[in-house]
Amino acid sequence: MTPAQMTIRRRLLLILLGPLALLLAAGIPIDYGAGMIPLSAAFDQALANETLAVAAQVHAADDGSIRFDLPQQAIDMLRADKDDRVYYLVVGPSGEILGGDAGLPVGEPGKTNPSFRDAVFAGAGVRASSYRLATPAGAVTITVAETTHKRERARQRMLAGIILNDIVQLAGILALVWLGVRVGLRPLVALRAQIDSRSARDLAPLDETDVPGEVAPLSRALNRLFATVRSTAQGQLQFLANAAHQLRTPLAGLQTQFELMIEDPAAGASRGRLTNMLDSTRRLAHTANQLLALARAEPTAAAAVDFRVVDLRELAEDAVARHFDMAVRRHIDLGVEASSVHVSGSAWLLRELLGNLVDNALAYTPAEGRVTVRCGRVDSNAVEAFLEVEDDGPGIAPEHRESVMKRFHRAPGTPGDGCGLGLAIVEEIARGHHGSVHIGSGADDRGTCVRITLPAIPA
Amino acid sequence: MRILIIEDDALVADGMRRGLSQSGFAVDHVGSAELAEAALQQENFDLLLVDLGLPGADGFDLVRRLRRGGKSTPVLIVTARDALADRVSALDLGADDFLMKPFALPELAARCRALIRRSKSSSNSDLTIGPLRLDIARRETRVNARAIDLTRREWAILECLALHAGQVVAKDRLQQAISTWEDGITTNAVEVYISRLRGKLGDEVAIRTVRGLGYRLDESA
Repeated sequence: MTPAQMTIRRRLLLILLGPLALLLAAGIPIDYGAGMIPLSAAFDQALANETLAVAAQVHAADDGSIRFDLPQQAIDMLRADKDDRVYYLVVGPSGEILGGDAGLPVGEPGKTNPSFRDAVFAGAGVRASSYRLATPAGAVTITVAETTHKRERARQRMLAGIILNDIVQLAGILALVWLGVRVGLRPLVALRAQIDSRSARDLAPLDETDVPGEVAPLSRALNRLFATVRSTAQGQLQFLANAAHQLRTPLAGLQTQFELMIEDPAAGASRGRLTNMLDSTRRLAHTANQLLALARAEPTAAAAVDFRVVDLRELAEDAVARHFDMAVRRHIDLGVEASSVHVSGSAWLLRELLGNLVDNALAYTPAEGRVTVRCGRVDSNAVEAFLEVEDDGPGIAPEHRESVMKRFHRAPGTPGDGCGLGLAIVEEIARGHHGSVHIGSGADDRGTCVRITLPAIPA
Repeated sequence: MRILIIEDDALVADGMRRGLSQSGFAVDHVGSAELAEAALQQENFDLLLVDLGLPGADGFDLVRRLRRGGKSTPVLIVTARDALADRVSALDLGADDFLMKPFALPELAARCRALIRRSKSSSNSDLTIGPLRLDIARRETRVNARAIDLTRREWAILECLALHAGQVVAKDRLQQAISTWEDGITTNAVEVYISRLRGKLGDEVAIRTVRGLGYRLDESA
């Protein structure tokens, strides 16, 4: 995943994860230290109590003799610890051992009485407590030590608790961030849904009523962009309308003048040249019309064209009526087989599309041929409408069907005065209507059938 | 038949004037809407040819003012603008037809004749389409000088086609024209009557079949 595709949520989680983990890890020694002090103190206190209990068995007689008498029962009680071994040692004023486990390290008197220290005895670490009992004969030192299994286990349990707690906290924070971002991004998701649900041609401003402060600049920027696109498109259309006017008016003048001069009996020998000039003027007018149509079908201008509900049947019948003169002149049987089907589109762009298809069919079909305009639904419950023009002319070889849609492409040796823009216009308009163009053969594999498929409005 | 051309391009105006004169119309020309209004106050015309893009008030303004002023002279818009919106608003304002520049002179003349014929047919009971002459009041049909005897239904269909000469008339519409006398007439019946009409009128009169749509009566065969 590249950074551009990374979601805000993922990015935020990645940014937070490292520092949060470090922070919580840094807290572990502090929590540990804070927990260990009272824990050690409690264990030491228990050890001190045992030491004092042993010390209670030291009796100093009036004669200065010291007697230490620990009954077996008391020794058993002292040693009865299921986790740790307990040792004791009582040392008299002159260093003589009065009882207990010889060799147990005896601590120096510390600041406190009893004093504590860590030592090693019988190959294991022990915690020892020494109590100095003052007697008339001198100080008697009572030491009780125990192995550290209990302490170790308590320490480990505490440490595990601290770490577990930190992990739970970390997971909790990340979950909150995850959810928080989700809730926080809801307005953005709503904005996206608003844009998604519009048609690609809808350039109306977005609804800004429920947009929070952070998202408002984004929706405002989008609205500005929509407005710019719309005004650019309108400017483009206006320019094309002016260009059309400026081009067609002088061409109309030339064309009518040539027609009159050809009709004039005085034309004489010039008639042939005048006829050629008239043909050229007509071709020029046709090319200008086609270029204007193509420019208007392009997305920059077509964005300003309003889409309405259009009945293809009306378009098909209108196209046949408009081209009937041309069909009569060329002795072609032009007909229509239309059933009503509605699409969302621009009536005049679709009219232009169909006009080009019928023009082509009439131009390339020889006299006594047949051209039929059809429209309807692709099948009874289909969401697709079709619009097609079929002729029984020479047809287009399969290998040329791709290239005929290219601009200014004309199949070699084709008759007529086409400029090679007709099918490019058809394709551009079909694409602008989310449709597709398919060039095939007509009935019985003869002629050409150009079929446009468009999304239909459900009946 | 008098035609007033309102067109600011001199070459186009001259071409239209000469072409229509050769077709037998009396033609006058002005270059702006203001001059056109002045001319219309003085004289009567049978048809106005109006360019949309005029200096000063444009063609839309002119048609709007004419129709508001109660003038019903037929108007043919001749324009370089081809946007459907322009076409629709011109027709909504009360223009009668729309022709795109550049145009062929024979087509211009045919449109002019059709418009004048339509406007006269309400007041005048004589209809002429090429060699065909219909006397609506007397229900008489002539091709050139030859009188043709038609049944009531044949007449009804021919009248409907003649009133819309040059335009495709849907089969349904022709069926309605004859179904006033008898219910249960099928569109098949229309085909039968058309075929009989063609037989009676001969080859000089062109009743053309627009397959899947209807029929069209043309000026020339």
